[in-house]
Amino acid sequence: MTSTEVKVHMKRFTFFGGKGGTGKTSCAAAYSLFLASKGVKTLVVSTDPAHSLADAFDKPIGFQTAQLGDRLWGIEIDAEVEARKYMKAVQDKMLDLVSAAIVDEIKRQIEIAYMSPGAEEAAIFDKFIELMESVGETYDAIVFDTAPTGHTLRLLTLPEILGAWIEHLIEKRKKAMDLMKLAARYDKPLAERIENDPIIKTLSARRDKFSLARRILTDPQESIFHFVLNAEKLPILETARAVELLGRHGIAVGGIVVNKVIPPEAGSFLEKRRLSQEQYLREIRTRFASMKIVELPLLDDDIQGMEQLGLLSPLMEDLGG
Amino acid sequence: MEKVLKTLRKWWEVFVLFHHGTFIDKRMAVVRKEAFDINDNLMLLLFGDFLGIPNPVSYYMLELLPYVADDLETWERRIQNRKFIIAEKAAQYDFD
Repeated sequence: MTSTEVKVHMKRFTFFGGKGGTGKTSCAAAYSLFLASKGVKTLVVSTDPAHSLADAFDKPIGFQTAQLGDRLWGIEIDAEVEARKYMKAVQDKMLDLVSAAIVDEIKRQIEIAYMSPGAEEAAIFDKFIELMESVGETYDAIVFDTAPTGHTLRLLTLPEILGAWIEHLIEKRKKAMDLMKLAARYDKPLAERIENDPIIKTLSARRDKFSLARRILTDPQESIFHFVLNAEKLPILETARAVELLGRHGIAVGGIVVNKVIPPEAGSFLEKRRLSQEQYLREIRTRFASMKIVELPLLDDDIQGMEQLGLLSPLMEDLGG
Repeated sequence: MEKVLKTLRKWWEVFVLFHHGTFIDKRMAVVRKEAFDINDNLMLLLFGDFLGIPNPVSYYMLELLPYVADDLETWERRIQNRKFIIAEKAAQYDFD
């Protein structure tokens, strides 16, 4: 495939997901390396709270973008850093608007929200949207190395669920504001203040962000999801369920990467395993017949560092640019 | 002539104030009360987790805090002291 072909066919957002331990990170790293080698400015992002992207590249990557090679950058989203940044922004904004005494009073509440379940996810999701918005300027494509299936499905279906909730809040606030406006008919300055209600503005901005994420995720021209699995029973079952769920939420699944396929030359010790694997491979081919299937061989060493990834990356070509 | 106009204007102002006080303010107070009630309920949806009611989006609600910070304490007191919802509603319709 030539680089122009890759640039035409590739999606701007590629996600690698799957059961834990199947090799998502290696595949995401190899694929991003493949894109970069074809002249695409690529950012590879890890959304898994337990990052391993830096280990795959054998180079330090942090919560800030680090250059990994020619036209290749990487970042590991750190939920805690993002949440702190967000809280700082809220506090600064508060100091502009209300007295310091009240800010002190409210710090306790901010801490509560920070500890609440879902905060980490929300923080990762925010960064996720921020990175998505940066495509087109700094990068041509983003490759996401996601967390194990359950976590990722929640992350990707978040905008749909939260969007509906926020829509409801906006409705309610609008109703209250309409009544206030009615009551303030004889009070011009108050009526003006109601017209520019910052709460409706903030909620609307949030809703727009969610719908943007949702639009990008459900657009098959923009984003594609690849599953990584091993030729074993449980990963196949889990992938089938995940594919169905993503389909229900309108997210396109493009390919299946079967990782760690035992080659025939593996020897007699693995022979029996290889035979049962053949059977599972057949099952994968029939079950996921509509998708591109890429098989990666089991290597005799861990996949670590640019050199090893360089061996795998040409194999990712079949996933399509 | 000017003196007469001045007196007339003064009486007009008195009349307007009287009119507002007797008819409009009272009516508007009912509407305002309803608006405040809806707002209090909205606050419960936004910041219910402060009172121990879980909120799926509490993290995103933080960015609204700067705009409601001033009212937050009184709202908390109001909402915790709610005892007789029927009496509250009755007061709104001026049955007393």
